Amino acid sequence: MIRTEELHSCNGTLKSRSGQKQTENYTLKNGYHKNEKVQKNGNGFHQPRVRGEDSFEEAPMYVAVLTYMGYGIVILFGYFRDFLRAVGLEKCHQAQEREEQKDFVPLYQDFENFYKRNLYMRVRDNWNRPICSLPGPVFDLMERVSDDYNWTFRLTGRTIENVINMGSYNYLGFAENNVDFLKTVAEKTRQYGVGVCSTRQELGNFSIHEELEHLVADFLGVESAMAFGMGFATNSMNIPALVGKGCLILSDELNHTSLILGARLSGATIRVFKHNNMQSLEKLLKEAICSGQPRTHRSWKKILIMVEGIYSMEGSLVRLPEIIALKKKYKAYLYLDEAHSIGAVGPTGRGVTEHFGVDPKEIDVLMGTFTKSFGATGGYIAGKKELVDYLRCHSHSAVYATAMSPPVVEQIIRAIKCIMGVDGTTEGQRRVRQLAENTHYFRSRLKEMGFIIYGNKDSPVIPLLLYQPGKVGAFSRAMLKRKIGVVVVGFPATTITEARARFCVSAAHTRDMLNKVLQSLDELGDYIRVKFSRHRRPYRPELYNVTNFGLDS
Amino acid sequence: MNVGVAHSEVNPNTRVMNSRGIWLTYALGVGMLHIVLLSIPFFSVPVVWTLTNVIHNFGMYVFMHAVKGTPFETPDQGKARLLTHWEQLDYGVQFTSSRKFFTISPIILYFLASFYTKYDTAHFVINTASLLSVLIPKLPQLHGVRIFGINKY
Repeated sequence: MIRTEELHSCNGTLKSRSGQKQTENYTLKNGYHKNEKVQKNGNGFHQPRVRGEDSFEEAPMYVAVLTYMGYGIVILFGYFRDFLRAVGLEKCHQAQEREEQKDFVPLYQDFENFYKRNLYMRVRDNWNRPICSLPGPVFDLMERVSDDYNWTFRLTGRTIENVINMGSYNYLGFAENNVDFLKTVAEKTRQYGVGVCSTRQELGNFSIHEELEHLVADFLGVESAMAFGMGFATNSMNIPALVGKGCLILSDELNHTSLILGARLSGATIRVFKHNNMQSLEKLLKEAICSGQPRTHRSWKKILIMVEGIYSMEGSLVRLPEIIALKKKYKAYLYLDEAHSIGAVGPTGRGVTEHFGVDPKEIDVLMGTFTKSFGATGGYIAGKKELVDYLRCHSHSAVYATAMSPPVVEQIIRAIKCIMGVDGTTEGQRRVRQLAENTHYFRSRLKEMGFIIYGNKDSPVIPLLLYQPGKVGAFSRAMLKRKIGVVVVGFPATTITEARARFCVSAAHTRDMLNKVLQSLDELGDYIRVKFSRHRRPYRPELYNVTNFGLDS
Repeated sequence: MNVGVAHSEVNPNTRVMNSRGIWLTYALGVGMLHIVLLSIPFFSVPVVWTLTNVIHNFGMYVFMHAVKGTPFETPDQGKARLLTHWEQLDYGVQFTSSRKFFTISPIILYFLASFYTKYDTAHFVINTASLLSVLIPKLPQLHGVRIFGINKY
């Protein structure tokens, strides 16, 4: 009986979304909503949602000063070490050009390797660690040691087992060995084979691909969808098919490399607005409308705003209602990259459109990937039928790339059906709720402990700011000693003062795993002094179990 | 740890000098250098000020006007390879806040050094030559210009 109600609720949600009109949002002239609440009519399933603000607290100024001093010291040591190598006092481990070629133009710029050989080499054991199991909520790592300060590694043959995985984008936990899931995947493998040696336009269009595309369109609540075999190429090969010379792309400052590559390949003019800054975006839109193209001042053929649902290194959510208001006001197009947010936010996992209560039809191009929440590869583009039909003819991926592998397609189909509930279970919705619960728990506990974390409170991507470069290596090594795998990032991948550890919460993480990670973070945060927050510590809310009070000691 | 993973900046060198706290760190660094030189017992105060000015200007010349390119690979295929750090600053846009600050700061240090050396002729000549060595390359007219081919390749 409960199952039937769940099914009805899920189907009702889908039906009401596509069938009914949105309540008109009251929007001020500058594109901002009069109130923070965004409501949906008709279905009581959705409550009025208050958009949580992104948090980007700044550390005290002395932290920035110490960071620059740290970089200054290691740069001076780098120059000193280069001097020692030049005079032969220290062995040069890296490849060098032969002495006979010293009068030729060098093949490589020596200075461009300065950072790598003098700064990155000493800490590179914190990255690219080989794993030897499925990257689920826990995984196994191969133990490796270095005898020459990380110039070379050797494997000891032992494994570090049951390391808690806080680094994978396994939001809904579908990176798992589930016999029921893999049964139909095995059947499709026997039926279709493991690969398709042709493109979607030629002999590579299977009925299973069509089924996937219909399912994605139903899941998102739009007319049509198209799937691609590679997630990165979904952006980089389709943006050139949408915009070209004489068009303008307004790109968020923190967009992913695939979006940037696609924008560059398109030949359109690219302008960058500040991250999630609506004033900056509106200023660019106004200038584009008033001034037109450079020198000739003719109108732009198209203006395309490119944003992401969740920014993968910042953890912030897009300001979707504001951007849609600006898009309507200035008659621009909107390209929404939901690579991380699809499946990870929203009450039923349908991404930021559901999270903000926005009609998916208001977004011109909905893009997402299957590589994160669905435990597969590839990506999709969804929207109006005319858009998708156009892409079927003109997309570089549709014309040249091989179609998606059938077992991968079946894995995605199984995952989407699980999330939608049409497979007869409530497992998918349980995972979506579990992810939201784990996210809120982890974020609030980190804030309580005094860490500076970035991003939206609903975002399962949680960057924890470490700031100083020396603490990046110390943090990563100490966490691995405690059997916790984390991803750390520093300059030049980030700006110079914002080195961080990036945690990705999963629905497959149990409360015990999260508590272990939080306890280790609490000890380690005090030990290496990375608790820089100046907010007042809140009293413990009633939400948590009384048994967790023991973690205070 | 490649360029641009967590931001879309093509060349991080353009933004380092705009970061929060970099000016304070620079001022503290120069102050620390001065205090260290003051601690050496054989140097008198005018000699220390001249040494502070000369060492600071030499360091600024090396790191901003002699070193070219980036210490990491950038996705723009080495477009900044022949540019000094000063020319990479703010993508070459002149008269930004950082450029103004780093143009004025050696002048202020020069004023302080001249004052504390009581405008002695020998110190004056040394300090002025040192100041010109870092001020002339900063002129907007000399952006990308290599006089006599100095530091051209």
